[in-house]
Parts: sequence; structure tokens; C-alpha cells
Amino acid sequence: MKTWNALMKKEWIEQVRTGKLMILSAIFVLFGIMNPAIAKLTPWLLKMMADSLAESGMIITDISVSALDSWVQFFKNMPIALIVFVLVEGGIFTREYQSGTLVLTLTKGLDRKMVVFTKAAILFLLWSAGYWLCFGITYGYNMYFWDNAAASHLLFSVIGWWLFGVWVIALMVLFSSVATANTGVFLGAGGGALAAYLMTIFPKLKTYSPAMLTEANALIYGKEEPAEYMTAIAVAAMTGILCIAGSLILIKKKKL
Amino acid sequence: MEMLRIENLYKRFGDKEVLRGLNLSVPEHSIFGFVGKNGAGKTTTMKTVLGLLNVDAGNIFVNEMPVTYGQTETNRYVGYLPDVPEFYPFMTAPEYLAFCGEITGMKKAEIKKRTEELLALVGLEGESHRIKGFSRGMKQRLGIAQALFNRPKLLICDEPTSALDPVGRKEILDVLLAARAETTVLFSTHILSDVEKICTDVAFLDQGKVRVQGTLSEVKSVYRRESYLLETESPEEARGLSEAFPVLQYDGGCRLQFDETACDVSAVLRVLADRKISVVKLERQEPTLESLFMEVVER
Ligand SMILES: Nc1ncnc2c1ncn2[C@@H]1O[C@H](COP(=O)(O)OP(=O)(O)OP(=O)(O)O)[C@@H](O)[C@H]1O
Ligand SMILES: [Mg+2]
Repeated sequence: MKTWNALMKKEWIEQVRTGKLMILSAIFVLFGIMNPAIAKLTPWLLKMMADSLAESGMIITDISVSALDSWVQFFKNMPIALIVFVLVEGGIFTREYQSGTLVLTLTKGLDRKMVVFTKAAILFLLWSAGYWLCFGITYGYNMYFWDNAAASHLLFSVIGWWLFGVWVIALMVLFSSVATANTGVFLGAGGGALAAYLMTIFPKLKTYSPAMLTEANALIYGKEEPAEYMTAIAVAAMTGILCIAGSLILIKKKKL
Repeated sequence: MEMLRIENLYKRFGDKEVLRGLNLSVPEHSIFGFVGKNGAGKTTTMKTVLGLLNVDAGNIFVNEMPVTYGQTETNRYVGYLPDVPEFYPFMTAPEYLAFCGEITGMKKAEIKKRTEELLALVGLEGESHRIKGFSRGMKQRLGIAQALFNRPKLLICDEPTSALDPVGRKEILDVLLAARAETTVLFSTHILSDVEKICTDVAFLDQGKVRVQGTLSEVKSVYRRESYLLETESPEEARGLSEAFPVLQYDGGCRLQFDETACDVSAVLRVLADRKISVVKLERQEPTLESLFMEVVER
């Protein structure tokens, strides 16, 4: 327990002092505000452009926006936030392999598994805090401007997308115990996410793909039901656990 | 008791055989100098002891427990200072030392005491800047402090003095000397004067094997080959002597050199007396570690 606390404290200090926490907070807050702002400004922007659009033959009728448009923005922007997250945190293990700092920590005789646990935990906490902060801000503005009830299965949808982020973190952890540089982690986690996305193109495979969790728009418009997502959730949970377990085994014999 | 025992260690990188049947035995509470040329395999040997490198064959025991590659229990007994130590640059020296204590479960009060003690020992007390700005010498000092922090039974230092100025080197050697009371020190170096200053034991590594090992005096006595230097007043006298004793090495001037085994000293002295040669100097030369090392390596 003392080891856990010490390693968590070290990871936290690193996040704060190297500015990573700042970058991530800024991104998630920015998106949180942008989602409703874009929805709110859309009619006004279109009105501004109405004249020029009319000349080209497009007629703008009165458009009304709702909380739904804001949530559509939320799910559209979240992949960008996740990519930023992976880019900022992708080196959390490999940085220590390359600089040799982990050698000193590990030659004190502590269990290598602890390193995987704490780094996975800090990634999980950062992603969760950022994601739910972003969600909270968007939710608040939406509530103020419109009515969040317009989106059906909202809670399920956001939990689903959050889970996808957690799944990507599991991939990061796995590839961090294989790779020697952060490019390996980017390729591994990015490749995994891409493969999951490609699966969703084929209707037969789609229900098994963790990437299905990112298609929350179909849920909030009520086109699909949560039940259809259960297989994807199960697959994401299983493969995520396998990734962490694999990482715990691989780190034991990892060459430093 | 042996704190570290290495049996028949083999290690190759690709087709390069670095260690070829290395045997080493480090007695408890010794200061063990591990000497070898650049690229002899000192760092490689130390890394295998820490489980950082996979060995091709052989066994390693620390405190009578076998070392395994990767995760290894034996690291709990070991403090390690790598050749180029790297720390978390965003921490200060006291923070880093506290971290070292915390991960191994030391008590808060003990950590505080030990931090102050060690920072003073390595001359980093009052250093409140982040490690990011540390010089190589400062990192080396912090490196020793972190290696000693958990009171290891075996302290492994990879060339601890090579980055330091003469004053810093002396200080670090003193630290190692002081550490002996609590621990066993194995340090690699190619600075033989350092070995002569503080080591109780020494091993010479060459061509993947430990060629010579033992206590400093043992090694010196085994290799003791008394050699004499004789200097006469005039070159003529020296030449005359070299003609009488062809085994003497004559430098063409006034100096002659000879080995005890090659030539009887008393016979030389008799001739000196008979011919009334005026001697400037007759000196028995102690073998230095340096000359021993050269001899071992060149054989
Ligand atoms: N990871 C590696 N891959 C390939 N060759 C290596 C590797 N590590 C070491 N070597 C080779 O092994 C040999 C021994 O290296 P090592 O670092 O152990 O020497 P050393 O005795 O510590 O030398 P120095 O005094 O320069 O520190 C060298 O020839 C080196 O090229
Ligand atoms: Mg070396």
C-alpha cells in the first residue's frame, strides 16, 4: 500500500509539474464549452451567411437547435480529445524506459506489477476526470439553454463512449509493456482502435466491436437501443482485462 | 560469507561474446574493485546481477539467493548506481530520496532522518532545485545517496568516480569507504589508484573472464616479482656490469634493471664491492596494481 501511494504520488507530481495536467484540463474544458457553443451559434452563423447562400440558391429557413445538436458535437469532438490524450500520455511508460529512471526504481526491489497498476490507474483517473468534466460542462450549458431530455439514452451513451476510452487506455498499457518508444504505443493503440473501427463497417462484425460504443449518436436519436450494445461492451471489457493481464506478464521479463 | 557469487557466467550480444565463463565471489563487508578495460564487460556483469540482462549460462547469487532475469527478489538487498544515473527531472533531491524510501515502505520519520543524513554525506544538503538542472557530478552524488538509502546489503556502483573532479572523487571514495561498515561494496573502475586507495579486494576482468581475484595484498603477493633498479655514477661502470651479467637490462646510460628470479642480488652486490663501483641508487621496486593489471591484460 505504501508503495502504491508513493508511486501514485510520483505520477501525480509528474502530471502537474510537466504541464500534462494543464494541457488535458484545457482540452476537456474547452470541448465542454465548445459543444453547446457551436450548437448555440449555428443558427446565428447560418443567418449571417444567409444572403450569400441565397445567391447561390440555398434558402435558409428558420432552424431550431436543441440539446441534441450539442450532444452530437460532444460525440464528434470526443475522438479528438481522446487522440490528444493518447498523444500526451503515450510516453508514460516508454519515457521511463528510455531515460533509465525506471531502472533505478525497479532495482530497489519493488514488484514490477506495481508500476503497471499505478500507471494504468493514473491514466484511468485522468481520462475519467477529463471526460466527466467535459460532460458536466456540456450538460450544464445544455440544461441552461435547452432541455437534456431531448437526447434519449443519454447516460448510457456517455458511459459507452467513456468505456471506449478506457479500452483504448488498456491498449496503451499493453503496448507500453512491449514497445521501447512511444511511437510503438501510438501504433499499437492507434492500430487497435482503427481495427475496431474497421470492424464496424461490416454489419456482421459490428456488434462485436468496441468501437461501436462510439456510435452514440444513433442512441441519442433513439435509432438504436442499449440492448444492441451489450455484446460490444462485453467484448471491450474482456479484451481490456486481457490487455492489462498481458501487460502484467510481459513487464516481468521486459528488457530495460 | 559471500554477498555475491557469480558462477560460470556467459553472455553474448549477437555474435559478440562478452562474458565467457566469468566467476566472481564478493565477500561480505569488502570493498571490491572490479577492474577492466573499456568494453571488458563490467557494466554487462553488473546488469546481470540486477536481473536487467538475460544471461546465456551461469548462476548468480546475491545473499545466497538466486538472481532471476526481470523481476527478481534479490534486488531488495541491492543498491545500484548505474554508470549514467537518471532521476525524475521534475523532483528535487530530497523529494527523490523520500520517494526511494516510500516505495520500499520505510517509515516517515526514518525517511526524513535518512534523507538529511545522506544529503549531508554526499554534499547536497540545502540543494532545493529540481534535478533537471543538476550537473553530472551532482547526479552522481545523488546516485550514491539513493543507492544507499534503503541500507542495502550489497552496493553496486558502476564507475562511480569517472564523472567527478579530483576533489569530488576523493569525497565519493570516502563515502564508499564509510559505507563499508554497513554494507558490501562492489564497484567497477579503470582508475587503479582508486582501487589502491580504498579496496580490500580486487578482480581483474579481461576477455570475458576474471583473470585474477583476491584481497589486495594476496593479489600483490602472488604477482610479486621483485625487481631492482641499480644506478651507477658513471656509464662505464654500468656497461661493465652489464657485460658481467648479461641478464641485466641495460638502458645504455647509468641504469640497470633486473628481476630477482633472473639474477642473484648478492652476486651483483659482490661485484659492486669487488670493483668498487660507486652506486647512486639501488632500489627494490614494489609492484603497483597498474603494472599487475597491465601484466594480466597483456598475457
Ligand atoms: N545492448 C548491447 N548490445 C550489443 N552489444 C553490447 C550491448 N551492451 C554491451 N555491449 C557490448 O559488450 C561489451 C561490454 O560492454 P560493457 O558496457 O559491459 O563494458 P564496460 O566494461 O562496462 O566498459 P566501460 O569501461 O566503457 O564502461 C562492449 O563491447 C559492448 O559493445
Ligand atoms: Mg561500463
